[in-house]
Amino acid sequence: MKSESKFDPKLIEDMIKFGKNIMDAPKLVSAPDEINLEVTPHDIVQEIDKTRLLHYRTLTEKQYKTPLLISYALINRYHILDIQPEKSWVRNLLLQGFDVYMLDWGTPTSMDKYLDFDDYVNGYLDSSVEFIKDETSTEKISVQGYCTGATIATAYTSLHPESVKNYIATAPVIDGWRDTTVISNLAKHMDVDKMVEIIGNMPPEFMYYCFSVLKPFEQGIEKYVNFFKNIENKKFVDNFLRVEKWLGDTPPIPGELFRQWIKDIYQDNLLIQNKMYVGGSHIDLKKIDMPLFTQVAVGDHLVSPECSMPLHYAVGSEDKTLKMYPTGHVGMIASSLSQNKVLPELGKWLAERS
Amino acid sequence: MESQSPKDITDYYKHLSLFWTDIIHLMASKPQALTSIGPMRAFASNSKKISTELIQINENLMEFNKLVTEYYKQLSETWSEAQKKVNLKAPDVPHDTEQMESFKRIWIDIFDNDYTELFDSEKFGENYGKLVSKELELTKHWNNISNVILQSANLPSKEEIDEVYKEIHALKKRVTKLEIELKKKRDAKSEGNIKNEK
Repeated sequence: MKSESKFDPKLIEDMIKFGKNIMDAPKLVSAPDEINLEVTPHDIVQEIDKTRLLHYRTLTEKQYKTPLLISYALINRYHILDIQPEKSWVRNLLLQGFDVYMLDWGTPTSMDKYLDFDDYVNGYLDSSVEFIKDETSTEKISVQGYCTGATIATAYTSLHPESVKNYIATAPVIDGWRDTTVISNLAKHMDVDKMVEIIGNMPPEFMYYCFSVLKPFEQGIEKYVNFFKNIENKKFVDNFLRVEKWLGDTPPIPGELFRQWIKDIYQDNLLIQNKMYVGGSHIDLKKIDMPLFTQVAVGDHLVSPECSMPLHYAVGSEDKTLKMYPTGHVGMIASSLSQNKVLPELGKWLAERS
Repeated sequence: MESQSPKDITDYYKHLSLFWTDIIHLMASKPQALTSIGPMRAFASNSKKISTELIQINENLMEFNKLVTEYYKQLSETWSEAQKKVNLKAPDVPHDTEQMESFKRIWIDIFDNDYTELFDSEKFGENYGKLVSKELELTKHWNNISNVILQSANLPSKEEIDEVYKEIHALKKRVTKLEIELKKKRDAKSEGNIKNEK
């Protein structure tokens, strides 16, 4: 019987090339540990416990009067907002003439297991806002919250509206019951009391598990195949390694904060129902009456649009804008789309109010 | 001879272990009481606690194994279903680069969709929640054993350290509140001085 070999020689060639790329990779690219994620120059202007307040150095001669404080998420670190010069959220805002501060939550240890929402909202975030107000001699500042950082910022703007001139909520975690992501399903079935009692802080390993179930084959196989395929593309490789390093670096979440976050947001959904309390104070979303700019990514598989959008309708603000972008959770803040569309639109809105 | 169920066997060994631990403890504690400040004395008096924890760990492990089996069963069933769908959609072996890319795309899309559906399901969430809960119970038993050993060496237990953390946290909160009050008073005073100067 005649054997038929229908394989395209190009396919074999590609496979050999792929194998060669894997072998050559260590010679061509840096190890993630060697990459410095601190991109835009900044000064550390305040440190409280493990948190740090970063002030980015200005890149323009003239600046808008109202400074902007970014409250980053509790998962991973703030570096994604300044991942590389061409895709840096922070750098773009600086170039548009804004005075940018960033709150780095730091790395909590076992000793911090009793830190709760009150400490983050009325402690660290409030101290940062007060510091910036003093430093810049302004009565109100603009606040941007990203992801879970927006949950904290939302609670803050409701409790301290007198300090916030403009509020920008980027992929905020607001309505846990409407969230359609895998994370939400896992959170709803979690015995969070037992977890906090026994292990204290939410360990990073658990976070990695939660992330690994999001598009497991695209994220777990395809992206690494693409990495080795493109090993000679310096720009691609640099971006890939930066994002990978950022993804692999997530601090633990303080136990009490985690307990309240899971219960009040995902399990009992108190925030959107105006039933949540922080440090004994009632969080009433109607008290958020300053201009609000909500940014939502249609393809967000970490915080679904249905979870974020209710904020727009629940606040007391008359001047409010809801923007939806055809991208994902990270794509909204660190991509060419964010540079060419998301940030210019935000800058225009903020400039008119700063 | 009557056949015994696995539960009867477990109960038998549980009883056997506790019996000998108790007896040895009672027999050993009297002469050891002579060296009542030594760590071995404390360790001997706590040995029953360790034994009980180990028995409970064993029981928990049986439950844990059931849940972890169900976990991998769900994963493997989803894999089989997804692979069947891939086979229906792309029955031919890819022969060139273009076909290979299409095949890979189909494979990843189907697998991602099916696994996302599984992770989003009630049955997965429920089993996963119980699995994590059981793991936590195992950790708790391990913590309890560690506490016994720490106490036998006159070191503070996890609960005692937690008490200290709690106290530090409360103190920090009080200090912060006092600092804010102080700042407010200072600000009010300096504002008053400015007004008086005017």
